Amino acid sequence: MSTFIKDFIEQETVSRRNFLLASAAGVGSMALPMAFGQGAAFAAENPALAWSYRDRASAYWNAVVSGGENFVESLGKTKDDMTSLINEGSSEKSLADIKAFLAKNSGNCAIACDANDSPNARPVVEAVKAAGGYISTIWNKTDDLHPWDIGDNYVSHMTWSDEKPAEDTARILFAAMGNKGGVVHLGGIPANNPAVERLNGLKNALKDFPDIELLDAQPADWDTTKAAELMASFITRYGDKITGVHCANDNIAYGVLEALKAEGIEGMPIVAYDGNPEAVQMVMDGKLLCTVFTNPYWGGGVSLALAYHAAIGTFKPSEEPNEHREFYGPTVLVTKDDAAAFKAKYMDAIPTYDWSDFWGPSNGGIVYK
Amino acid sequence: MDLTGRFTREDAIRWAPLMVLIALVILFTAINPQFLSLRNFARITVAAAPALMVAVGVTFIILMGSIDLSMEGVLSFTAVLFCYAFVKFGGTLAAGGWIALPLILLVGAVVGMINGLIHVKLRIPSFMASLAMGFVATGATVLLTGGGIVKIDDDVFRGLLTYRLLGFPLMVYVAGIFVLIAWFIQTRTTLGRNFYAVGGGEELAHASGLNVKRVRVAGFTLAGVFYAVAAILQVAKLGQAESVTGANFMFISITSVVVGGVALWGGVGGVWNALVGVLIVNVINNGMVVIGLPDYVQDGMLGLLVIIAVVLSTDRRAVTVVK
Repeated sequence: MSTFIKDFIEQETVSRRNFLLASAAGVGSMALPMAFGQGAAFAAENPALAWSYRDRASAYWNAVVSGGENFVESLGKTKDDMTSLINEGSSEKSLADIKAFLAKNSGNCAIACDANDSPNARPVVEAVKAAGGYISTIWNKTDDLHPWDIGDNYVSHMTWSDEKPAEDTARILFAAMGNKGGVVHLGGIPANNPAVERLNGLKNALKDFPDIELLDAQPADWDTTKAAELMASFITRYGDKITGVHCANDNIAYGVLEALKAEGIEGMPIVAYDGNPEAVQMVMDGKLLCTVFTNPYWGGGVSLALAYHAAIGTFKPSEEPNEHREFYGPTVLVTKDDAAAFKAKYMDAIPTYDWSDFWGPSNGGIVYK
Repeated sequence: MDLTGRFTREDAIRWAPLMVLIALVILFTAINPQFLSLRNFARITVAAAPALMVAVGVTFIILMGSIDLSMEGVLSFTAVLFCYAFVKFGGTLAAGGWIALPLILLVGAVVGMINGLIHVKLRIPSFMASLAMGFVATGATVLLTGGGIVKIDDDVFRGLLTYRLLGFPLMVYVAGIFVLIAWFIQTRTTLGRNFYAVGGGEELAHASGLNVKRVRVAGFTLAGVFYAVAAILQVAKLGQAESVTGANFMFISITSVVVGGVALWGGVGGVWNALVGVLIVNVINNGMVVIGLPDYVQDGMLGLLVIIAVVLSTDRRAVTVVK
């Protein structure tokens, strides 16, 4: 919906409500609900903590939630002091759970949240604002929703831009292919933003390599099994023309490797994304050229830290610049040269993060196209 | 054929799934001749082998007129347990990892039996009981793995994928052997005939003195064993297991069984229908990529072809009510 139409509808709704209020209680009382709405943003004591997310089944979300738990423990509390609001992929459940959590704690809450899909972010942050809680979001929100428009209660939004890192992996792949040959791309679920960005990154890199042909790009839905079957079909269709494989994530790369293993093909240049422990090991072993780590653990911890510190009044979100309200999460390229050092730093022992350094590892303010 | 040797309508329906399969192979080959090669058929059968085991397992249930939707959870659960057991007993087949093989078949049987008992003893429709059981199994898998991946790194075990006989990996032959076992159970055992009796008319079977409940529990137990075989083949194929290993198997297996000509209302079809159905679905999946169909058309085309295949291969005239 365009902002014009939305603003129009909002104005219309508000003026109709105001009209009813005015006729019922007189114009003077109109100021009262307004004052309550704004006045809710006060510094709270010991807010209730929650992380709202899909589920814990994947390594990615497991890392996000573990980061959140680590932050809670850094406050001298226990893991159980952070409530997990599991939305199971349902936006309705996401919103309902958050509203229930707000009601239970009378709005004295600090919440970190992935709203499940972009349109759901607005009702979620508005519910939090109405109750006087504080929220930080990651991944999903519409481009027209900004923390500074909502106010201090919507502390921050973090997302990851995958286009540039995916372009970097493509360049590493092309160099390994000797700057010529044919490449196939196995992508994520087509409508997912990261899937689109990671394919765009590959296409950006292709512009500089005229002797490399993109033979095919098809979705493997982030799934190992589907990737193995798709890669097998690619081999039938393109055979020896395939001299490099660009994968949208690590799980896809595992499937590609197994499909190649079944054919007895070894040493094919392959790049991946996500920086899962198995993939990092494969980079060390030379099975993959590189992967990209997005530090979900830090993302999970710092999102909750931001909401918490805004709630207790450590800082006032509206006094921060925009790039501290909307920013990109970190991306670390992992290649064979630095894989061992990377593993030692991030995998073997989880690094100790300073959860009050909110923006140190981040990657700058979000840019909209 | 009837007594006079003519090709009847029943014959046409019986052979329709195979005809659809052959027609698809001809179609894809005509568009891209590379489709028709031993190497590609090996790729298709490798992709099909685990799905085939799930399809054969669920065929027994569907023959009885019930449905089993627990396969995704059970497959993930048994696959992950298999990997843990394999690693625990030595990490290679020779060192003792082989113990994991019979162990996991047993686990599959137990999970299937619980599934059947919940359905029969608590009188919950099989649809709901098995779906719930599948969620329980998925939950247990997440608990076991904590979202992580379990890998198996044994070249002997992975020989199921990498060692080829006459162009086909060993796992294809293993799947073939289990299809023969299933066929034997279906045609040569009392249990197999009882599946048809229950599916053909439960009240009649009960009135004839058949212990229908026992047959149902046996059916779910048998299906559980086949899901465990699927899990082992899936691990052989990918070298790893996680809580999403079983994803998509519900759609593929049930679609395959129905496309192959097994009637969802029970009593009609069998193991061979499941085999042909799985091959049809996998030939479509492989063929669409090989002929270069754009990805945004593929899902729609799969759905369309499934409808056509079901229309051709089921005798809908015999059914008075469709629900």
